[in-house]
Amino acid sequence: MRHPNQATLALHAGGDLGKFARWKLERHLAKCDACAGEVAAYEATRDLVAGLDDIPEIPWNHLAAEMKANIRLGLAAGECVRAESPLRLPWFSTGRAAVACASILALIAAGIIVEGPKPAPLTVLAQPMVEATDNGIQLTSGGSTVGLMNRGVKSENVSYLPNAQGGISASYIDPSTGRLTVNTVYGQ
Amino acid sequence: MSEVIEPGLELADRQNRFVSEHLRRIFIQIYRIVGNVSDAQDLTQEAFIKALQHQEQLKDEQKAAHWLSRIATNTAIDFLRRSSRASFCEIDEAPESHSETPEQELLRGEHRQYLEDGLRLLSPRERTALLLRDVEGLAAEEVAEQMSCSKATVRSHIANARTKMRRYMERRKR
Repeated sequence: MRHPNQATLALHAGGDLGKFARWKLERHLAKCDACAGEVAAYEATRDLVAGLDDIPEIPWNHLAAEMKANIRLGLAAGECVRAESPLRLPWFSTGRAAVACASILALIAAGIIVEGPKPAPLTVLAQPMVEATDNGIQLTSGGSTVGLMNRGVKSENVSYLPNAQGGISASYIDPSTGRLTVNTVYGQ
Repeated sequence: MSEVIEPGLELADRQNRFVSEHLRRIFIQIYRIVGNVSDAQDLTQEAFIKALQHQEQLKDEQKAAHWLSRIATNTAIDFLRRSSRASFCEIDEAPESHSETPEQELLRGEHRQYLEDGLRLLSPRERTALLLRDVEGLAAEEVAEQMSCSKATVRSHIANARTKMRRYMERRKR
């Protein structure tokens, strides 16, 4: 036979079981003297505890008057404290206000950084440029152009040679003198 | 001719009436939980002050009475938790009773002390649930409402409390 646990028996002693649980337990108690004895013991305990309902004889009128006076005093004190304390909203606190201010400042700073005046694009200064043309060497710098012409010679008889300094040399035989002439233009 | 009543006076009258109507009931309820007149007096005052500071809760009389009981129960439980003690040691303090002989008074005090020793073995919530159910005679639903917990929790507290009290009484018999 399976016996109900002590909690069930204790609850049954005070009529605290549900309908189905009570019906089931009563069927068991009808057959089980041990459990019926347990329930009786719980009922006896309950009766003893119920004896705590008596109140000691106290001078109630005196006690009640004292309590009423103290309650009035407590309420008046509470009113004074409430009147003196500054308005405090339940959701408001110094910490929260500080966090909110910091957030606003951070937002403003981010806005300034993102939307502020953009730095001027870097302008690359034009480097002097040297180039060979049909009739000589041309130097372009700062918007102006200067050319060094190959005198009295056809372009196919001129050989151009760039050098390591960024310049160009034009070599040819000068027909008027018959000498080798080398013109070099440096891009500096 | 109609009488003009100042709002402050009206409020004070309402508060006084509310206190007078419920004072004894709340005092007894708290006394049964803490088992001590002096503590019960302090806690009763505390419960009323807490309740009366929330006037808006007191408009409906029926609800206000339940709400006050709940405040009283919680105030008493908090007190038991804080102090971890509660005693019925009032045999010396109790005023003279003219309806009982000294022997009867002594026996009553001893019986109370015996029960109080057992109640001390319970947790504050077990003790409160047991007293509200078995001494005050409240239904489990009402106990649950006063203790701000579920009915299942109340049943668990009551079962534990009865089991502990029974074991205590059996030990004391030996």
